[in-house]
Amino acid sequence: MGKLWTVIRREYVERVRSKWFVIVTLFGPLFFGSIMVLPGYLSVRAMREARVANIRIIDATGAGLGARVARRLAPTPLQGEAQAMAAVDTVAPADVTATEAALLDEIQARTLVGVLTVDAATLQAGTARYMGRNAGSVGEVQAIESAIKQALLGSGMEAAGIATEQADALLRLRVRVSAERVTDEGKGGSGLANTIFGFGVAFLLYFSIVFYGQAILRGVLEEKTTRVAEVIVASVKPDILLAGKVIGVGSVGLTQQIVWLASGIGFYTQRSRIFSLLGMEGMPPIPMPSIEAPVLAALVLFFLLGYTLYASLFAAVGAMVGSQEEAQQAAQPVIMLLVFSIIFAQPVLTNPTSRLAEAMSWIPFSAPIIMPMRMTATPVSWTEITLSLLGVALASAACVWLAARIYRVGLLMYGKRPGLGELLRWIRQA
Amino acid sequence: MSETALEIRGVAKRYAAHVAVRDLSLTVPTGAVYGLLGPNGAGKTTTIRMILNIIAPDEGTIRVLGRPNTETAVLDRLGYLPEERGLYKTMVVRDVLRFLGALKGVGTHEADRRIDEWLDRLSLRSESKDWGKAKVEELSRGMQQKVQFIGTLLHDPELVILDEPFSGLDPINAQALKDTVVDLKRRGRTVIFSTHLMDNAERLCDAVCIIARGEKVLDGTVAGVKAAAGDRTVALALDGSADPAVMTILHDPTLVTRLDDRSRSFEVTLADGADAQTLLTRLVGAGARIQRFERVQPSLHQIFLDRVGATGVEPGMSGHG
Repeated sequence: MGKLWTVIRREYVERVRSKWFVIVTLFGPLFFGSIMVLPGYLSVRAMREARVANIRIIDATGAGLGARVARRLAPTPLQGEAQAMAAVDTVAPADVTATEAALLDEIQARTLVGVLTVDAATLQAGTARYMGRNAGSVGEVQAIESAIKQALLGSGMEAAGIATEQADALLRLRVRVSAERVTDEGKGGSGLANTIFGFGVAFLLYFSIVFYGQAILRGVLEEKTTRVAEVIVASVKPDILLAGKVIGVGSVGLTQQIVWLASGIGFYTQRSRIFSLLGMEGMPPIPMPSIEAPVLAALVLFFLLGYTLYASLFAAVGAMVGSQEEAQQAAQPVIMLLVFSIIFAQPVLTNPTSRLAEAMSWIPFSAPIIMPMRMTATPVSWTEITLSLLGVALASAACVWLAARIYRVGLLMYGKRPGLGELLRWIRQA
Repeated sequence: MSETALEIRGVAKRYAAHVAVRDLSLTVPTGAVYGLLGPNGAGKTTTIRMILNIIAPDEGTIRVLGRPNTETAVLDRLGYLPEERGLYKTMVVRDVLRFLGALKGVGTHEADRRIDEWLDRLSLRSESKDWGKAKVEELSRGMQQKVQFIGTLLHDPELVILDEPFSGLDPINAQALKDTVVDLKRRGRTVIFSTHLMDNAERLCDAVCIIARGEKVLDGTVAGVKAAAGDRTVALALDGSADPAVMTILHDPTLVTRLDDRSRSFEVTLADGADAQTLLTRLVGAGARIQRFERVQPSLHQIFLDRVGATGVEPGMSGHG
């Protein structure tokens, strides 16, 4: 036990101390933080910079439509108080052309962004003219169109006898549809959020298994090529060395994921404070997936078993080969198994109850990636989850057994890479 | 403490393609320096790996320090320097040594004390530079070899096993290793080393075992082995190089069965029935200018060649002795 601990400690400490670990681990929170804050922040900034409020309105309607439009274009509290309302020039229809010509000079002199002209045609048919440096911006032109439409609606409502405040309230009404997922157990969580979460889980599992599996391969190969293994196996049984490696590297991965998860939760729970720090109060809540504790436990089990399965296969590959180049070639079949799982992620996710999805969550090599994704995206019966877990457990036990035997012989064997026949002999001989 | 540091009985190890070791038995007394001699591919490394329980023998038993070597606790009292050597390149020297010590049950505090001692002793640490703080890859090859010795001896093992310890060593490290072996013997430790360099073995060993083709050829104390080989050896040295007439006499099969020709000095094994006196007379008669003519015990090298011969290596065997 003491020796196993010594091996685990070395694997863990040496890796956690490395620059790469620190960089990749810090990348997680950075990533979570930015996907949570950045889109909101960018849209707020875009709104702040929007110049639609800073235009001149030429009102030739004689019905005060220009002032209404200016009020609609006025900055909302979210955008700060910095900008003034658009100025309105009320003119007679005959003077429109002359005023426009005068203001055109101002636009060219960059003292004005643009000029909006509303007239009788606007009242009748909803047409208006806008000229400005930002006329190419679809968003800004749409904002102007929507402001005119609301101004027209407002004046229409008032004409129909609705009080100004009431009309304003009606116009400010926003419609939002929240889609809820219905499962056999009831309803809960956002459908889209669950799908995204499912894909995230699958990708995280895939990434961790590939990344840490390869780390094990490199570790075994290092011990073999530098011949450190020669000394170590005189003190520690190869099985313990292998176990220590798998557990040590796995713990590094787990540490990383805990940091990521904690930062994700941290960002989520503290997000209103973060938003207010960035001056973004009133951002809509981020939809969260609904994951029950037993599902979470199953996810962790799938990760641990899947990782063990692939880690031992990677270790066996590391013990079989003699150089980095050989390793890349020899690891191909193992990588293929993983890639095979992830390329089916998309079809499984779009149709998580299909035959394909079911089959993929039963095959022990793809189950650790596909089943967690499926069960977060759609309800899966516990019998099916348990049986799939059992299958992965059995397969990973078999892989550990095989890998330990290949490792035991291969670690001290140099020279030509063994063929299949020799590999079988190693397995029998160990 | 047990009287015998190592006892091997009837050990055999077979692989699919060949037999690495067959029916090997030997005993190493406590406190001895013991040489395991043999050509490449003779089964030395396989034997050593079996002693360390890295691989299991197909037949026979091995007892180490009075205990079966399958007991893990007894293996912590062994120190091993493999023929193929290396360390974790990116690790700090002190961390590697702590790790190797911890694998043998030495605590960090005690390990640090011993590491300091060893670094000073092998001049890997001075006022200006402490190589203990450097990464292994920053060290020269010679320094890495020193670190490897420290790793072998850090837990103060009772039985030290060195596989071809002199291979790849520069003269300074080779001397340091010899000094260390002598020091270990003085402190009552047992040292077993394998080598194919007979000169080193003859100088350092109390006892030897010669193996070839996976079998023991002979074993015993160095003095005993030499005495048993008889006194049919003559050390001959000439003043100037040997002329053809002299060489003809030295190649006469009725007089000489084996000649170790070192140009101006020779180790001559007399043929059965031949007399040293006859050889001397004939050499003088041929006009040889003799500097030295002495009946000696054969060197280990000579015994090795006599008993193992040039065919000591089985065809198709390679890699590990």
